[in-house]
Amino acid sequence: MKDKIQREIMIKATKERIYDAIANPEQVVLWFPETLEGSYKVGERPILGFGEHGKNQIYIEDAKPHEYFAYRWVPGSNHFLGDVLTVANTLVEFRIEELKDNSCKLTLTETGFATLPINLAEKCFTQNSGGWEFMLGRLGKYFEEV
Amino acid sequence: MTAAQIFKALGDPVRLEIVKRLADGSAYTMNNLSKDLGISRQGARKQIQVLVSANVVFLKPIGRETLVTLDMSSLELARAFITSMENQWDQRLNALKNFVEK
Repeated sequence: MKDKIQREIMIKATKERIYDAIANPEQVVLWFPETLEGSYKVGERPILGFGEHGKNQIYIEDAKPHEYFAYRWVPGSNHFLGDVLTVANTLVEFRIEELKDNSCKLTLTETGFATLPINLAEKCFTQNSGGWEFMLGRLGKYFEEV
Repeated sequence: MTAAQIFKALGDPVRLEIVKRLADGSAYTMNNLSKDLGISRQGARKQIQVLVSANVVFLKPIGRETLVTLDMSSLELARAFITSMENQWDQRLNALKNFVEK
């Protein structure tokens, strides 16, 4: 079973523009968290705010303009305050790759699900609700993708 | 049963192969399932026991044989968790795309 999520998206913008949207604290709040408290620099532990859904304190792992940005957090939990490095967490990585014609491929990976504490996955999943009914036939297809 | 325990139980190529075999709905006995896994029969039994401990499969004695069956609810939990995380990222990445392209 996969311990990793990987998603890709094509974006018509320069890598500088995309990197800025991810790594600039004034920009990231315009599409991801609603608010950001604290320093948004490598080695720091800022708090992402998701309005009524709670707050999530993260750890900025690494940043390489204009191609790579990574942080650690407790996924699915919309409320975690504390030092994320002292608990089981996942690593979220953004990679920007420049293509021809002024567009870029953005690859998102999140790894470390197997290290999550007991019950966390279950808890955050019941919070989200829905998506529980999966048919047997889809399972075979899923394993082919692994 | 939690998704985290299931991920750990399946984080091994032999155990994943065992689950793949069971995933097509076929019934396997402990003896059948232990064949052609590239490890000894004893080793295979050990791996099946790990899956039993994680509630990924359960055992049912039938006569002198032991039937191994997949516990679908466990796998659905793990799969549903990952799917919900993937959906969340798709939404976020689309928001990012709309934001920088406008």
